[in-house]
Amino acid sequence: MMKTVQDDQALLSRLQAQQVEFVIIGGFCAIMHGVSLVTRDLEVCCRFTPANLRRIEAAVKELHPFHRLAANKLPLELTDELCGRLKNLYLQTDLGKLDCLGEIKGVGGYEDALGRSVFFKLSYGKFRILNVDTLIAAKEAVGREHDLAAVKQLRAIKEKLTHEAPRPNPTD
Amino acid sequence: MLDEALIEQLNRGYVCPPDAGPAWRAACDYGFDMSLVEDALFMTPEQRIAEHQHALNLLLEIEAARELNDEDRSG
Repeated sequence: MMKTVQDDQALLSRLQAQQVEFVIIGGFCAIMHGVSLVTRDLEVCCRFTPANLRRIEAAVKELHPFHRLAANKLPLELTDELCGRLKNLYLQTDLGKLDCLGEIKGVGGYEDALGRSVFFKLSYGKFRILNVDTLIAAKEAVGREHDLAAVKQLRAIKEKLTHEAPRPNPTD
Repeated sequence: MLDEALIEQLNRGYVCPPDAGPAWRAACDYGFDMSLVEDALFMTPEQRIAEHQHALNLLLEIEAARELNDEDRSG
């Protein structure tokens, strides 16, 4: 049996190294804001231009990436035509799941996500993540049970941080 | 000697603070142990990610072990 791995730090570092334009969204973004739940994939919203898609491909090319939701687990092999037609990339790699979305329900496309994001500085890079209000809007728009549960924590976090002295959030 | 108030404190788990706002209270009422969120808010985002990775690794290990056990049981 193959060991399941999800190494988000390594995936993020690879995206960063290839200068992929992306904003961290989803459960991992919620964790960065302080939510106590566990998530099993890394979701990012990306600019879906051919150049950026090629950067994503370069970031994961050594990791045996494949389209994890395709019936035949098609390997990731971008062509010009495919680049023009893809709206999302749901990838499985040797370092875990990486979902690259061109659009976020309740928010919009990459530019909308970018405009409603904040910087978080980590030791391995500086990353853009959705701000709390936008993450709440996105999770409410999706509306699955676990998204709405996360919204309860996000609202509580927002309320606490609004009424208290700033906590260690190195957002430049 | 152990007094009853102390024993009660030790047994009751997280109690929503009396000055908690409505959103914090709603999360408590939903059943979340909000002490975990309180702890997370005192960490840096990097510490939160490390803690999450630790929890996720544990979860994946348990799942793998469960699968192996299931295989063993089914012979």
